[in-house]
Amino acid sequence: MSTFHSIVRRWAARLAAVALLAAAAVPAQAAPEIIRIGVATAGGGDPVTWGGSPGAVARVNNWLEDEFKPLGIQVEWLFFKGAGPAVNEALSNKQIDFAYQGDLPKIVGRSNGLKTKVLLVSGARNNLYLVTPPKSEIGSIKDLKDHTVSIFRGTNGHLVAINLLAAHGLAERDIKGVNLDTGSAQAALVSNGVDAAFGGYEWFKVRDQGLAKVVYSTQGQDPAFTRQAALLVRTDFEQSNPAEVQRVVDVFVRAARWASDEKNREALFGIWARSGTPVASWAAEFDQQQLAVRNSPLVDDFIIGRYKAVVADALKLKLIRREVSIDGWFDTRYLDNALKKQGLENYWTAYDAKGNPKAGPLVAEK
Amino acid sequence: MSAEAELSTVLRPRGGKSAPPEAHVLPPVPWGRISRLADDALPWLLPFSLLALWFAGAEQGWISPQVLPPPQFVWETLRDLASSGDLWLHVSASLTRVGVGFAAGAVIGLALGSAMGLSRNFETYVLPTFNALVQIPVLAWLPFVLLIVGIGEPLKYILIAKAALVPVAVNTLQGFRQTPVTLREVGEVYGYSRRQQVLEIVLPHAVPTLFTGVRLGFTKAWLSLVVVELVASSEGLGYLIVYGRQLFQLDLVMAAVIVVGAIGYAIDRVLERLETAVHRSRPGASAR
Amino acid sequence: MTTATRDAAERAAVRPLRPAGRSRWRGLVLPVAAVGLWWLLALLDVVNSALLVSPFKVIGTMIDQVMSGRLWRALSASLAREAAGFLIGTVSGLVLGALLGLWPLFNRIVGPSFNTFKQISLFAWIPLISVWFGLGDVAKVVFLSLAALVPVVVNTCDGIRTTPVGLLEVARVYGFTRWQIVTQVVLPAALPSIFTGVYLALIYSWLATIGAEYLLVAGRGIGNTLIEGSEHFQMDLVIFGMFVIGLVGWLMNASARALERRLARWAGHS
Repeated sequence: MSTFHSIVRRWAARLAAVALLAAAAVPAQAAPEIIRIGVATAGGGDPVTWGGSPGAVARVNNWLEDEFKPLGIQVEWLFFKGAGPAVNEALSNKQIDFAYQGDLPKIVGRSNGLKTKVLLVSGARNNLYLVTPPKSEIGSIKDLKDHTVSIFRGTNGHLVAINLLAAHGLAERDIKGVNLDTGSAQAALVSNGVDAAFGGYEWFKVRDQGLAKVVYSTQGQDPAFTRQAALLVRTDFEQSNPAEVQRVVDVFVRAARWASDEKNREALFGIWARSGTPVASWAAEFDQQQLAVRNSPLVDDFIIGRYKAVVADALKLKLIRREVSIDGWFDTRYLDNALKKQGLENYWTAYDAKGNPKAGPLVAEK
Repeated sequence: MSAEAELSTVLRPRGGKSAPPEAHVLPPVPWGRISRLADDALPWLLPFSLLALWFAGAEQGWISPQVLPPPQFVWETLRDLASSGDLWLHVSASLTRVGVGFAAGAVIGLALGSAMGLSRNFETYVLPTFNALVQIPVLAWLPFVLLIVGIGEPLKYILIAKAALVPVAVNTLQGFRQTPVTLREVGEVYGYSRRQQVLEIVLPHAVPTLFTGVRLGFTKAWLSLVVVELVASSEGLGYLIVYGRQLFQLDLVMAAVIVVGAIGYAIDRVLERLETAVHRSRPGASAR
Repeated sequence: MTTATRDAAERAAVRPLRPAGRSRWRGLVLPVAAVGLWWLLALLDVVNSALLVSPFKVIGTMIDQVMSGRLWRALSASLAREAAGFLIGTVSGLVLGALLGLWPLFNRIVGPSFNTFKQISLFAWIPLISVWFGLGDVAKVVFLSLAALVPVVVNTCDGIRTTPVGLLEVARVYGFTRWQIVTQVVLPAALPSIFTGVYLALIYSWLATIGAEYLLVAGRGIGNTLIEGSEHFQMDLVIFGMFVIGLVGWLMNASARALERRLARWAGHS
């Protein structure tokens, strides 16, 4: 059985690798034989992919694989059902080199000493929703008091959920928060195991089946109630393989360009739908929002402001124990190089800390 | 002599210790006391050296704090938990769950085991099914029960009860079966009614085994409590472990693990004392 | 005596108590009735139909999974991991158990710590294991090895320490050397217990395999089949998964017991 053999072989190789690594600190290699990218979601489809980020465009079109094939470097995509927290575990074990991850788990990792660099944004202003069973009496966030609510702790949704609760006068203690991952949360809500759930675009499919209703949405609200995701790289990988990092960033920028073009809207949703979340859900998630805003890779004042706010909130809520500085964490050299090479310096709009466009509306071509 | 003692004499190196030299000036060294103290201290040798290693490792930086937090950190976290009252909240939630689940499981197990032990017919019908269901581990039951009762407290009670039920039922059945044949024959000769037989012959002999089953049932219940809480809960020790894991706070994870170990150990010791007492009070206790 | 009865329940999983009654068929009455009731309920649509799938649907899923090869892929993935963990755990367990049983000083030092360790559910260590060993197969194998190790240590140590006193006396009278005593008296006497330990290790590492698939990163495996079924509300997949898991466990038991009978006959034990 090929699976049996591959598992045994893989395990033997890994064990040997771990043993070697444990024996001596591994110095930087000349060129990597394989580049591993961790994605903080379970994803779906065959081959497994995800949606909601321009990175998925690169995944589905194999742009990264094509980019590195002439160099003889393989690319491996790893998906984590445990989302951001699981990606942190993989990063701390150096099992992945790049990671697509949300803001809070990134900060949690950094505050625990993970040495990483953020390269570019890959999915900004992601929304959060509060969903309940269809016949539920819960009509707003205020009604959540003393109810069981599913929250995926440690992910970027966690912090937004708490901020939403706070904005409506509730603390995390006022609700019975249950930690459930994306899939389990859906199962729990539909079987009335929890009274409500905080989550993202995955709920539209459930709503369209008539098994849940969306009670609250962050769409159209203060962008401070959104969550960001970005691509980061392990510092030691980046230091020893700057050329490879540049290539990866180039591909992601190319994907972001394609994903920001409104002409490609339907095609984009079609690509994302290959992960199992249907086109209708993407249409709902991106309803009345410009692709160029959501899929911009720019690390602008809005992004920096959001990350600073997340640090402050996380510290206040004791989600992290030490103050974390984000200075020097965002390494935009690669991004700037890529933008220059592809002539996209003025393509995307930079936003200020409040989320408003900075120097006049330079909107992407329609 | 017990087998252990025999073994140790057989396996200890031959040749006696040479006697200490005559001490003229100093009082004789109390070797006896010292060696007894040393012997008592032995069990602590391993944990303490591990602790020292852990401390040194964190101090020297051999181990990065994200992989293994320094012991002081874990201690502080434990203290914070205790002082803020959170620890009690979680411990009591866990203890309540295990209490209810274990009680339910033990009662059902006793009932099931006794029914099977007392009635051959019942046993014939039920035991094969029971054996088959036992093969399915608690974790494999979880999605099934989850779909039926959701993720609330009943899920945990049911799974913990299942874990406790098995050893209790099996040991109860075993206990009922192991009545010495001779005693049963004596009862028949004396014309004991069925009820008398059960109450005065079968039951007293079954009680020690029963109790062992109950003790094992509690161990299983405690072990499965952690597993069940790891999956879906909003308070409890397993919940703390998950929370710590999600937020990369390994000191919280370790603190919770320590508490789990301590409580499990403590309750097991209590049950062990009870079990020894029950065994000793068994009528006509014969050394097996 | 206490030790023997304490392990009775453990052994039940390994050697199920046989009903003393006559007819084997009687044992089937209950399951058949249960399945019949289930089918009836599904037919009449009495309960929330999303969850109550008819037995035929489960059988259909079973056939589909087997024919499409998905069952074998999932099972072989799970079993491969279990094999590795089981072997490592059993071997190290034998060594540790022997040390604990034969060397009193070692027992004094390590024994109490080990007893405390086995009170803590192995699953509580998963977050630490995943941080120390990552989320891949290495972590899973470590976890499985620990699961297998515990029963092997307990039963090996137990078996060694309950060597019948009479045998030891005889050996001493005959002037056996220490090595001879260990290999010709103690170990053979401990063999039944050691076997029990190894069976339990097999079962426990199987349970741990399923658990690891829950709590460490997904991959292929029969536990994952269960979880996916649960998340997608496919009760038929869930029941199918449970059935397979139970069946595999039972098969392991049965084959291990058969092996023991064969070996016992060969070694001249009763």
